Amino acid sequence: MKNTMKARLLASLAVLACAASSASAGVGDTPEYKFRKPPVNALGVTSLADLRGKPVLVDFWGTR
Amino acid sequence: MPSALKLAEEYGDALQVIFVECQGATRDQYEAFAWKQKWMGLGNTMWTEERPFPTVGNGLPETALVGVDGQILMQGHPGNFGKKLEEAIAAEIKKAKEAPSGTPAPLKKVWSSFAKGELAEALAECDKLGTEDAKAARDEFVARTTRRIARAKWLLDNGFVGEAEKHLEKLGKDVKGAAELETLVTAEVTRLNDPALAAERDAAKAVSTFFGQVAKKKPFDAPNVQKAESLAEKHTGTKSAERASRFAALSKVR
Repeated sequence: MKNTMKARLLASLAVLACAASSASAGVGDTPEYKFRKPPVNALGVTSLADLRGKPVLVDFWGTR
Repeated sequence: MPSALKLAEEYGDALQVIFVECQGATRDQYEAFAWKQKWMGLGNTMWTEERPFPTVGNGLPETALVGVDGQILMQGHPGNFGKKLEEAIAAEIKKAKEAPSGTPAPLKKVWSSFAKGELAEALAECDKLGTEDAKAARDEFVARTTRRIARAKWLLDNGFVGEAEKHLEKLGKDVKGAAELETLVTAEVTRLNDPALAAERDAAKAVSTFFGQVAKKKPFDAPNVQKAESLAEKHTGTKSAERASRFAALSKVR
């Protein structure tokens, strides 16, 4: 039980740490990001670092 | 979205496009939506609900261009960029074949060899130069190639046999003569040619052809869904059958 709670706490801290580090990203920054779940059609790409050497267009969109 | 799709189609493999769904749709919902819109299979695209970095504007859509060195070069509403976005993409594609800015003159030629796929020559030249910059460049060449090998392994593990074959063919040429990496590539080529992969190979070919045929038509029309179900059944036990089965399931997502 104690271990489960500890694991959950650590996981939450990891998420917070990730959000905090990426919160500073903007033009001129070099964001690091590892996907928690591989994107659809990622074909083995698991992080932004995997794409170094190729330009990446990130399109933020919505289905509605 | 439409402009990013157009760019994905225009630049193909030279540009990676990541579509990030930001309105809370589930993976099933946005994947089904993209199939219905005939957006799947266009260019080099991937789809996620995770923002790799925060948005900066107040609404959607928003576009960001990440350069070859991983730096965010532009970010905002795509309508504000005009021709500048395409120009920046073209410049980055060109840059992908050159040394990073600030590279000392003796290393520029080495980067050019690496970009041309002459890895062994590039590594040998780094060793010959022996400077700190040369060592850093060597590490970068090895890291990038190792990531490509890991990708080939992932493709094989997940039944993308055709893609793995294409990927390994290019990798094999690039690592020729670079013993430490050549061994790793050879191991994956051996896996690729293993007769045990025959069922996965057949399934991958059939399912990939099917997806290619339906992506731009009406993907979820009943005959297509039936075909997907029959492919899943015929190739049961393979990763591609799982994909065909998922396609059929997505057709039912509202």
